[in-house]
Amino acid sequence: MSVLIDSLLAILAIYLALQCLLAQRLIQTVFIFFAFGLALALTWVRLGAIDVAITEAAIAAGFMGVLFLDALRDFSPAVSKKQQNLEAVRNPLPGNDTKRPILPRLALGLGLVLFLLISLEAVWNTPEGKGLTVVTGVMLPDSGVEHPVTAVLLNFRAYDTWLEIGVILMGLLAIFAAGGKEVYRKSGMTAEDPVLRQVILFFTPILFLFGAFLLYFGKSGPGGAFPAGVLWGAIGILLHLGGRPVLTVIPRWLLYLILTIGPGFFILLGFLLMTTGSTLFEYPPAYAGILILIVETMAAISIAAALTAIFTNLNQMSEEPDKIESNN
Amino acid sequence: METYKIYILTSAVLFVIGIGGVFMARHFIKKIIATVIMGGGVFLCFVSFAERDALTFADPVPHAMVITGIVVAVASAAFALALARRIYQLTGEQSFPIDK
Amino acid sequence: MMIKEIITVILLIVGCFFFLAGTLGVLRFPDLFSRLHALTKADNLGLGFIAAGMALHIASPWAVLKILSIWFFTLLASSTSCYLIARFQKEKEQPTDRKEGE
Repeated sequence: MSVLIDSLLAILAIYLALQCLLAQRLIQTVFIFFAFGLALALTWVRLGAIDVAITEAAIAAGFMGVLFLDALRDFSPAVSKKQQNLEAVRNPLPGNDTKRPILPRLALGLGLVLFLLISLEAVWNTPEGKGLTVVTGVMLPDSGVEHPVTAVLLNFRAYDTWLEIGVILMGLLAIFAAGGKEVYRKSGMTAEDPVLRQVILFFTPILFLFGAFLLYFGKSGPGGAFPAGVLWGAIGILLHLGGRPVLTVIPRWLLYLILTIGPGFFILLGFLLMTTGSTLFEYPPAYAGILILIVETMAAISIAAALTAIFTNLNQMSEEPDKIESNN
Repeated sequence: METYKIYILTSAVLFVIGIGGVFMARHFIKKIIATVIMGGGVFLCFVSFAERDALTFADPVPHAMVITGIVVAVASAAFALALARRIYQLTGEQSFPIDK
Repeated sequence: MMIKEIITVILLIVGCFFFLAGTLGVLRFPDLFSRLHALTKADNLGLGFIAAGMALHIASPWAVLKILSIWFFTLLASSTSCYLIARFQKEKEQPTDRKEGE
């Protein structure tokens, strides 16, 4: 029975991945991508990785899907009529694909099949290893938390986690550089709708509470800074879409402070610990629990702010051409 | 057949689908989604091996790496989307031109 | 004990049936509004049955509360998104109507 469920889930994931790339319209691609993310989340549950499942469902399926959906406002057929005409002039023949020579496609197909066989063989015949389960189990009592994944994330491999919060910030900086907005404006998309406004107001405290619960629960079970950060980020995104863009309200210095407080506090704590004679991020076992909780809270706040800012910047990108045209 | 073996095979298939998508897909968004699917295959491989090495709990190190990996994948996908939208705004292109 | 399990199984089967019906509706119904109708109504009912079945199966007060809150929030979110999609579609189809109504 369990083999049946696993096989069905695996086939579903592969089918959705294929459909996602083969779909004719972009909106189909994006919605199948949502479904693919959720199928993967179910897969993580089957493999006993509940933390990964929560993160996948929240960030990979939820947040990333929302980003893609938002991008469709730029690329949707109605908007890109002008672009289609442009392309029609450039490539008079309809169906560019048929113009492609057959040989490279054949080579690519053969290469992919070969690569598939090699990777199947590689993953199937991977030599047995012990992994790091035993080591983690032995060290777990010293980590200050009961949940092994949180112990690895925030204590044993804290340096990686710190760098990775930095990667989100780098992503945000790169988006700024790629033409994001320095000045945040009201989106005004659906601001007047009373139902949406009320529901968002209703969900805001609940999302906050649920994020705080996940944050605190992370020490003894699946949860922690990343799911909590995404839930809090979802508040910012919802408020932005509901016509109350938080980033226009808070002053710029405060936004920068919130964005950097997570990694900043994290690394500061690491250096402070070094002054007491231990190595970087080596918490004293007696205080490890409370230190991890504080670090996680700061990290979650920064992640939430970064995700909100990423979404707001991308969301405002498509509004730029109108502004340019009106200036002209 | 144990659970993890099914998913290990799935991970290889997903990765190859992703690679195929990166090469074959025309539109920027599809290319970006293809890289995300590739990433999904890699994560699936990691978590499957974590399940193989499970004792009382599954190996937490791959789990932690996958969680961080997902977040990094999202950050890079967001950046790629920003670039794609910027390219579209400036040039009107929705995909890379075929001819050199 | 047996009766409880039987009721759980029945609730789950009924829930799955409504999900199936809702999915069929989404696939077969002709336009967006009837599809939304099938999706939100039938699926929410199905989710309600499955939640009730699981609550009966677990039968610990906190877990039951959590399951019920999941059901409640899903209900709220899905009906709101249904409303928003329907409103968007209506505005797209007949933009003048809404202005007269306001």
